[in-house]
Amino acid sequence: MNASVIDTTAKGAVETEGRDGRGEDDGTIGRSVKRQDLLEKATGHAKFAGDIVLPGMLHGKIKRSDVAHARIRRIDTSKALALPGVKAVLTHENVPRVLHYGSPHPRSASVTRDQYIFDNKVRYWGEGIAAVAAISEEIAEEALDLIEVEYEELPAVFTLDEATAADAPQVHDRGPGGNQVIDPIRVSRGDVDSGFAEADLILEGEFEFGRPTACYMEPNICVSQWDGNDKLTMWSSTQTAFMVRGILAEVLGVPLNRVRVLVDHMGGGFGAKQDLFQHEFLCALLARETRRPVRMEFSRKETFLGGRSRHPGTMYLKQGFRRDGTITARQARITLNTGAYGSHGPGVTTVGTTALTSLYRCNNVDLEGRCIYTNTPIAGAFRGYGVVQVYYGLDIQLDEAAEALGMDPVELKLRNAVREGDLAPSGHPIIGHGLEDCLRRGAEEVNWGPVRQATRNQDGVYRRGWGVGCEMHGSSAYPGIKEQGNATVKMNEDGTVTLLTGAAGLGTGAHTALAQIVAEELGVAFEDVSVVHGDTDIVPWDIGAFASHTTFMVGRAAQQAAADIRQQLLAQAALRLERDAADLAVRRGRIVAVDGSGSSLSVREAVSPTPGIPAAHLIANGTYTPTKSYSFAAHFVEVEVDTETGQIRVLQVVPVHEFGKVIHPVAAAGQIEGGIQQGIGHTLSEDYVVDTSNGRSLNAGFVDYKMPLAMDMPPIRTIMLETAPDPGGPFGAKGIGEDPIIAIGPAIANAVYDAIGVRFHCYPITPERVINALAGTD
Amino acid sequence: MKRVDYHEPTTLEEAVQLMTRYPDTASFFAGGTDLLVELREQTRRADHVVNLKRIPDLGMLTFDPRAGVHCGALVTVRTLENAPFIRAHYAGLWQAARELASIPVRERATLAGNVCRASPSADTLPPLIADQAVAHVYGPAGRRDVTLEDFFLGPGRTVLSHEEVLTGFSIPAPEPGTGKSYIKHGRRKAMELATVGVAVTLTLDGDSVRDLRIVLGAVAPTPIRAPEAEQVLIGKRPEPALIEQAAEAAIAGSRPISDVRSSADYRRRMVGVQTRRALQQALEAAR
Repeated sequence: MNASVIDTTAKGAVETEGRDGRGEDDGTIGRSVKRQDLLEKATGHAKFAGDIVLPGMLHGKIKRSDVAHARIRRIDTSKALALPGVKAVLTHENVPRVLHYGSPHPRSASVTRDQYIFDNKVRYWGEGIAAVAAISEEIAEEALDLIEVEYEELPAVFTLDEATAADAPQVHDRGPGGNQVIDPIRVSRGDVDSGFAEADLILEGEFEFGRPTACYMEPNICVSQWDGNDKLTMWSSTQTAFMVRGILAEVLGVPLNRVRVLVDHMGGGFGAKQDLFQHEFLCALLARETRRPVRMEFSRKETFLGGRSRHPGTMYLKQGFRRDGTITARQARITLNTGAYGSHGPGVTTVGTTALTSLYRCNNVDLEGRCIYTNTPIAGAFRGYGVVQVYYGLDIQLDEAAEALGMDPVELKLRNAVREGDLAPSGHPIIGHGLEDCLRRGAEEVNWGPVRQATRNQDGVYRRGWGVGCEMHGSSAYPGIKEQGNATVKMNEDGTVTLLTGAAGLGTGAHTALAQIVAEELGVAFEDVSVVHGDTDIVPWDIGAFASHTTFMVGRAAQQAAADIRQQLLAQAALRLERDAADLAVRRGRIVAVDGSGSSLSVREAVSPTPGIPAAHLIANGTYTPTKSYSFAAHFVEVEVDTETGQIRVLQVVPVHEFGKVIHPVAAAGQIEGGIQQGIGHTLSEDYVVDTSNGRSLNAGFVDYKMPLAMDMPPIRTIMLETAPDPGGPFGAKGIGEDPIIAIGPAIANAVYDAIGVRFHCYPITPERVINALAGTD
Repeated sequence: MKRVDYHEPTTLEEAVQLMTRYPDTASFFAGGTDLLVELREQTRRADHVVNLKRIPDLGMLTFDPRAGVHCGALVTVRTLENAPFIRAHYAGLWQAARELASIPVRERATLAGNVCRASPSADTLPPLIADQAVAHVYGPAGRRDVTLEDFFLGPGRTVLSHEEVLTGFSIPAPEPGTGKSYIKHGRRKAMELATVGVAVTLTLDGDSVRDLRIVLGAVAPTPIRAPEAEQVLIGKRPEPALIEQAAEAAIAGSRPISDVRSSADYRRRMVGVQTRRALQQALEAAR
């Protein structure tokens, strides 16, 4: 079994087992090459949107509401406009009134058209209601205070119970009623009634999910400039530059070739930067109004108020089991709180609900997912996209079932693990399944049986426990969105290669992986491939960097384009070598005969001009429209619980991931470690809290929203398997972006149960919740 | 950040004069780790900032086995953390210093600033009170000394008048047989505000407790002594049952609030647990 092992305790050492005897020189894939953006980032030359400074640039700021639900009766901007240095003020009275999607995916079932740039209504505390452009941030801020607003307050709903009560105040006039964003998502297979009738054991549980947020390092920011031809250029920290371009053009009423969106580098997004935000419209409008460049940057507080969180919510889950562990039926009712706007709520609800058809196979399912408006900040897309929530409950209930049936949880999960050919959540048969491999390998790695045995009969203050959690996640958003990955590859006349891609660089190392794929396919050195990205006027159209699909989908498109270039290159070489192109191949930068006969040429010699022969012009496009592939993981976790304070420490994590082909082991392990850090935070401490009496945000900032830091992180021994490559992915590769955040949560919850015998059906599992549960007061 | 007028006095007199000249709108500036953030976020208004760093001799940190520590107003938390005699003789303060914010913040933040900010959850306050530290103050009426125990009036409020400068602290030398501890109860290991803080300074006379001060942070508008808890142990052998009883008394003396960090009830429970643990740590160090 091929596996890369990365152990953070051993300073990132990579062990690669069973790699078919590949040597250092044998290609680029699977090697942790120096990241393509390493030097520019290390030296501070990499450009982020916030680095853009333009002559005459103004600063824009947003005034945010201090009520949760109200009609704006009057808004007076005269005093703000009179303040020296203020150049423009926008309100709902002078911006275009265009109803738009929160996230502009074309032909997408994921999102809802329910937003205006500014409305005459306020739907949550902290929503933007006016914007100012001034010669300095300070003056802009001062002007915000001078804007006078008179509200007619409306009754508000802050919780799911309030929003779904009969006669509840409605957050929107649209939708099917009852504060629903969309009609309930219903998935039904087989017959649950007969499934439950067959069961020897039936478990039911109510689960409750908190509101973690993405906390990307770089706050949302954009800079806008209109040129003399009335063309808009916008630098923005966005995962979806072409989507931003599209919706800006639509709302501003200009054609696509008059909007150019630039994203060089980003300080993270985690899915949450695939919406179109108020400030992006406002920045463009303020720049148009003032005829000057305008910069708008969120404060950290605004990344909470104006950003997107994961959906909080609830789930009722009922499953039937036979004595041998086989699952006979599964019924679930999921209710997600999308906040004041739909954003990705419909997509998250759909993906989360359908995810419950799988992971652990079950022929009889009856699932319902609802997405509900409340007068709270907006929940949207976020790494794990609805699956984090539902698999938390599903996996915990499997752990409960194992105990009730007297089985080991690993054994029970293996018995029910999804298999090749099973119907995936997307409705397609699964090609290759890695879940069993992950479970077996992890159990072996941590010595599962004995370590679990060692946690029996503890009575000290500090108690340890081991838990396991599983997950699977799709690469690409299919079938919610029919996606398309594009790449253009050019070969220069010295044999070097340029890849043009629209995929955003969130900081994941995606461009490095894409360059590796091109190098591998072409047979040239990684260092000979450079990447051009992040300019909608230059690079091929891209749907955006999300849904764990960049390496999988754009990687495949890049591979196709590179394969095309290789054919063109061999044709060139064939002329010069006077041989049939079909007999030639590219090996380590040289064009050689497949049978080793005759002379060879360097790639450079094949394309560079010689007297009488011009340089070869080699360019190719690749387009890939994938369906879906699934990656798998099992996380094994050891925790220690302080039974006097309720504090939970994660002592070690052994994540085992199967994702087809590891392109760059260190970058892939970085994704996994980062997902685990984020997941530990979400499971134990992170929760963006809204006061349910008035809708105010109580911890919109890092003083009281606590993520784990380096010192809080346990050692992680990451194992990456390549046992179920996907024929659709480049060299068999599947996605790894979202997977790592999913399994860690239930693994921790199950480990906590193993330590102290208390089940938590909620996250975050705060010390206070632990203490209350131990004291029996919860 | 809004414009401010910046002043660099070179004597204490000059600093006090500046503060007198701008009765409502001037702020002292030493480390700036609170001040600059508050100005930027507009939670504090100041038109004048009076930098103390040009005044000589405010940056001294000295230790004498008999006289104890003298710590000038400009001594940074990081300097304290790295001073061997702080670690050896003022273990509670040392522990508080090394858990305050982050290393970059501690490189700039001063002990005096942490004290003058008077946050109920400030880490260095409980051990300073437990160690009977005295604040040296200079003002229009000359010099005066105030014990730290009497220094705090409420969140952000101290006995200092607007014009007065805190010039430094004296902390008595520990008597033989003294053990100290500080436990910060928070949600993570660094960059954290205490949910509950407990400082203990305990002196043994043979097998029994001769002297004891227990100070609680983040459970009242100011750090507070827990005199009932102290009395449970003073003059007695610190048996586990008595320590438990002292912890219970500390709970009874605390007045925590509920907020987004914790409920009052959880804070009370943690006062009990961490007082017991702090007592055990101090006792171990004293033996």
